[in-house]
Amino acid sequence: MTTTVCGRCKSSGAVTDYQGRQDGAVVWTILRCPTCNFSWRDSEPARAIDPAARSADFAVDAGDLQRYPKILQQ
Amino acid sequence: MNDLPNRARSISSLRDFLELLEDSGQAITWSDPVMPEPGVRNIAVAASRDANGAPAIVFDNITGYPGKRLAVGVHGSWDNIALLLGRPKGTTIRELFFEIAGRWGDQEAQISYVPEAQAPVHECRLEQDINLYDILPVYRINEYDGGFYIGKASVASRDPLDPDNFGKQNVGIYRLQIQGPDSFTLMTIPAHDMGRQILAAEREKVPLKIAVMLGNHPGLAVFAATPIGYEESEYSYASAMMGAPIRLTKSGNGIDILADSEIVIEAELQLGERELEGPFGEFPGSYSGVRKAPIFKVTAVSHRRDPIFENIYIGRGWTEHDTLIGLHTSAPIYAQLRQSFPEVTAVNALYQHGLTGIISVKNRMAGFAKTVALRALSTPHGVMYLKNLIMVDADVDPFDLNQVMWALSTRTRADDVIVLPNMPAVPIDPSAVVPGKGHRLIIDATSYLPPDPVGEAHLVTPPTGDEIDALSKRIREMQLGALS
Ligand SMILES: [Zn+2]
Repeated sequence: MTTTVCGRCKSSGAVTDYQGRQDGAVVWTILRCPTCNFSWRDSEPARAIDPAARSADFAVDAGDLQRYPKILQQ
Repeated sequence: MNDLPNRARSISSLRDFLELLEDSGQAITWSDPVMPEPGVRNIAVAASRDANGAPAIVFDNITGYPGKRLAVGVHGSWDNIALLLGRPKGTTIRELFFEIAGRWGDQEAQISYVPEAQAPVHECRLEQDINLYDILPVYRINEYDGGFYIGKASVASRDPLDPDNFGKQNVGIYRLQIQGPDSFTLMTIPAHDMGRQILAAEREKVPLKIAVMLGNHPGLAVFAATPIGYEESEYSYASAMMGAPIRLTKSGNGIDILADSEIVIEAELQLGERELEGPFGEFPGSYSGVRKAPIFKVTAVSHRRDPIFENIYIGRGWTEHDTLIGLHTSAPIYAQLRQSFPEVTAVNALYQHGLTGIISVKNRMAGFAKTVALRALSTPHGVMYLKNLIMVDADVDPFDLNQVMWALSTRTRADDVIVLPNMPAVPIDPSAVVPGKGHRLIIDATSYLPPDPVGEAHLVTPPTGDEIDALSKRIREMQLGALS
């Protein structure tokens, strides 16, 4: 099942970047969250992609993207 | 296999090297179906448990990627590194260290140019509707990585302010996170060549074009991974160190690239733009944070027919990253120390890119090893990386941890330990006080000399040297012969 809710920041609206096929049938889909840039494959284990099963240590707060530092500043 | 040195010098591509590895029992093909996650990671991690003998693994049946090939662990064991250097399997790490250390200034660079139309890397060319996912059988390297990473890319660029200068071309290994079908972020720091070039291009508002080479001549990743002088071309350096010719061609965007690489991705920096990048499981065995990193837009892709995507498993050690860069991290420190102190006999900085290093030295006077340790901290790599230093005498092989532990057990006094607080530190060291600042530790495990009042114990002297090394190998061969 393909969900468009991001496992990392829980935003909706993920876009499909690619679908893997085997003998013509789609076997998985790669999705990307435009809010936090998390990319995932819908065939991955739940602990990597399911917001309910993922470790909170790796969550991204979609409401506070300012907190992430910008590298290489003049 | 008496022709190993010649065979190593004749390698011009990843394919050549995989053939050599396969002939030596050091490459296997994984043809059972495997899911990208977690299958590829599991197999790569299982292989890297054997730091001495792990084979390269070529996957050719990854679910959802029919017809595509992925190679991991190409530099994943000392035996593979030995074959690359023209030495037989079973060569000791110490011998490999001196093989590399002895190559400086030994050979001239041999660079030749191949017309683009004849370069294997340009056999297939894509200039529109590019989707990196359609070309690269990627997989999540560690389970909480922020996306799909290209972990073993050699990125070539010209200095944006001096684009005609061959010597100022930069080739370095940087981690790339795919950000949609035709974009990727690149992680670097201001001190690295690419960081300097990005800052210069953005300051002067000039374009920065790069060529990302994947599946390369295996010497490039070994010798281009460690910073050398900015004015020196990494291609020339790698060629001289391999004692072998390197064939270059031009990328479509005008950068010198290896003519025999599997894949080259041409891209342009999006000036001033930053996108969320990370986390990524890095070489200390912990994840980097999430940061906003420079983003590049792909303009074209060239690749060989049926290209092999080469990637790496990196994370909590031991991993391919350690065998890939360990010796060439150690050898420059050795050379730099010997300029001041010829008493230094070997340097082992294999652990986590030199976060721990072991240096053997002939004490000139009491306490001399501590002086050498302080000099090591001021070498280019030592400034940021050499966090823990263990100093041992010249009669201890720093590559043999059993001997190092003997020295710690019998030659260290608790007041022979120095802590230097609040020193520079590599930002991804998880033990830092704050990222970029931490403590240094020097343990002097050398023996005592006058004027120290404590005399050295009367040592047992078991036989050592070439004869014993040869006997040890012979015993191992007899044992292996008995098994087969
Ligand atoms: Zn998200």
